[in-house]
Amino acid sequence: MSLASARRQLGAVFRKEVRQTVRDRRVMFLLVVAPLIQTVVFGAAVDFDVDRVPTVVVDHDQSDVSREHARRLLADGTLLRAGDFPGAEAAEHELDDGRAAAALLLPRGLAADLAAGRPAEVQLLLDGTDPNRAATAGAAASRYFGEVGERLARQRLEAAGRPAPAQVVVTPRVFFNPRLKTAPYIVPGIAGTLLVIVTTLVTAMGLAREREMGTLEQVMVTPIRPLWLLLGKLLPYLVVGSFDVLLLIGVGTWAFGVPIRGSLLVLAAVMLVYLVSTLSIGLLISTVSQTQQQAFLGGFLFMMPAILLSGVMTPIAAMPPWLQYLTILNPVRHFAEVMRAVLLRGAGFGDVWFQLACLAVLGVGILGVAASRFRTQLA
Amino acid sequence: MAPAVPAVEARGLFRRFGAVQALAGLTFQVERGELYGLIGPDGAGKTTAIRAVAGLLDPDQGEARVLGLDPLRDPAVRERLGLMPQQYSLYRDLTVAENLQFFARLSALPRPVFRERAERLLGITRLAPFTARRADQLSGGMYKKLALACALLHQPEVLLLDEPTNGVDPVSRRELWALLHEFVEGGMAVVISTPYMDEAERCHRVGLVHHGRLLLEGAPERLLAAARVEGLPRPTFEELFIREIEGAAA
Ligand SMILES: Nc1ncnc2c1ncn2[C@@H]1O[C@H](COP(=O)(O)OP(=O)(O)OP(=O)(O)O)[C@@H](O)[C@H]1O
Ligand SMILES: [Mg+2]
Repeated sequence: MSLASARRQLGAVFRKEVRQTVRDRRVMFLLVVAPLIQTVVFGAAVDFDVDRVPTVVVDHDQSDVSREHARRLLADGTLLRAGDFPGAEAAEHELDDGRAAAALLLPRGLAADLAAGRPAEVQLLLDGTDPNRAATAGAAASRYFGEVGERLARQRLEAAGRPAPAQVVVTPRVFFNPRLKTAPYIVPGIAGTLLVIVTTLVTAMGLAREREMGTLEQVMVTPIRPLWLLLGKLLPYLVVGSFDVLLLIGVGTWAFGVPIRGSLLVLAAVMLVYLVSTLSIGLLISTVSQTQQQAFLGGFLFMMPAILLSGVMTPIAAMPPWLQYLTILNPVRHFAEVMRAVLLRGAGFGDVWFQLACLAVLGVGILGVAASRFRTQLA
Repeated sequence: MAPAVPAVEARGLFRRFGAVQALAGLTFQVERGELYGLIGPDGAGKTTAIRAVAGLLDPDQGEARVLGLDPLRDPAVRERLGLMPQQYSLYRDLTVAENLQFFARLSALPRPVFRERAERLLGITRLAPFTARRADQLSGGMYKKLALACALLHQPEVLLLDEPTNGVDPVSRRELWALLHEFVEGGMAVVISTPYMDEAERCHRVGLVHHGRLLLEGAPERLLAAARVEGLPRPTFEELFIREIEGAAA
């Protein structure tokens, strides 16, 4: 078979795949609409930003001092005043019913104790259902009253004519994502996660369906070579996947304020090698599956660890070392890293060549294995 | 000129699927211009034999040859072989025309050649009015004819047909057989499997397959004549085969 014949064969498979895909509304939905919906939903839901924690206030002291402290603590936006109650019991009730996530209890005699230099105990009740939110609310209260205590101590020392103690102040400055927003960080990861689901599943099911429907036998008695057949089945989804990437980046930028600081060329490159690797994995899975059901399960068997060990959900650095090494084989990891680096940090080819190289090697290698498995498996 | 090789050759094919011995030493030969029938009950191993000849299955033992070539290892076989599987094997969500076009391209047929042959095959199979119809909306008989047309597009020298007339009405069946005779007269070698005994009589030679090997082989009229000698007065093919199969079981 000449190269021209091979091109004709490849074109035939490509066109056939496109026709079948376009005619199957469920697949079209899975390919285009589902990732869009999921990005919007996940981007909005997976919001680790904690502010405006609804907080009720129980002021037993009812002094100007206690009122002033409550006002200032609730003024910085982390805690949001959700009402005032006369007793702790009523406040607990608000927590039980979920109307408040924190309750600030200022004890009787607070003003007097502070003025006299006696220790005072301010209580904060927290709803621990969301540990992240509880910790943030607790930290906000501790910080505020810590500063109050320090100020009082200094005033007393100065009043007594003694020098104030030296202090160390930590001034954090956050790079790349200065407002510590979750969305810009999480959306590139979600994009990679959604893409692996779509592309791996669709190609995994593709060959298995042909086998189940009996069409594969008819194809296999024609002169087409396995590699051209697999490429023909892969390329249409490379187009769809690329479209999805652009869609997701568009939504991320427009709806979640994800910046695009790096070059689009690097993005295009990572998109290409990433999709080739995930699509090839799908093909590999479909060469070991007899039915679509097996292919579907096989796809999940790959995707679950791939997503969990991608650094999107938990940082890779927090994993045991051997597992960290294993994630080098995980395309989702490389894609998420490159996307974040390019979008948030403006990274160029020089910064992400390692990830790009890993993806390219994975993609080509897996496609080769799939093609040779496919050849020997029929025999 | 090299010495003439048989168009199809199966030599001592064995193949086991789990506990089932699907092929147990099946051997047969088909010459160019010959119409050979694989006859046998359900599960006899006909489909397995045809798949082995088509290079879709690796036998545990023995070997298949098509035009002297190894169908498993020599891709050139596939340019000279046509297969019509027993099961559905075309894309049901594609139209008649799209299926034809797809398989023509896989065989790398040039466009003008494809147009001319498709037109002729659509005429012969009388599918021309239905080119825009999806394959899953064809009747059983029309579907079989489309599958046949797809297998014939590249004008194979060897044609393998696995129960092509199953579910086809008598008129279409007769047409199909007329077509097959035309092909073999043109030099094509045809292997056809069928459970119908009346069809067996239309083959040049038949092989009766049972439990994965041949019980009986020969030209239909010779087999019948031999049976008469053995004392059956005017046996039908059916009686002859049933007697053989029961004899093998005993
Ligand atoms: N891929 C397979 N996996 C497991 N068993 C198989 C497979 N293919 C065939 N068999 C078994 O091998 C035996 C022969 O099957 P085969 O399909 O060749 O018979 P057949 O003569 O074509 O029957 P039919 O007339 O019903 O089509 C059967 O018992 C069948 O169940
Ligand atoms: Mg069969």
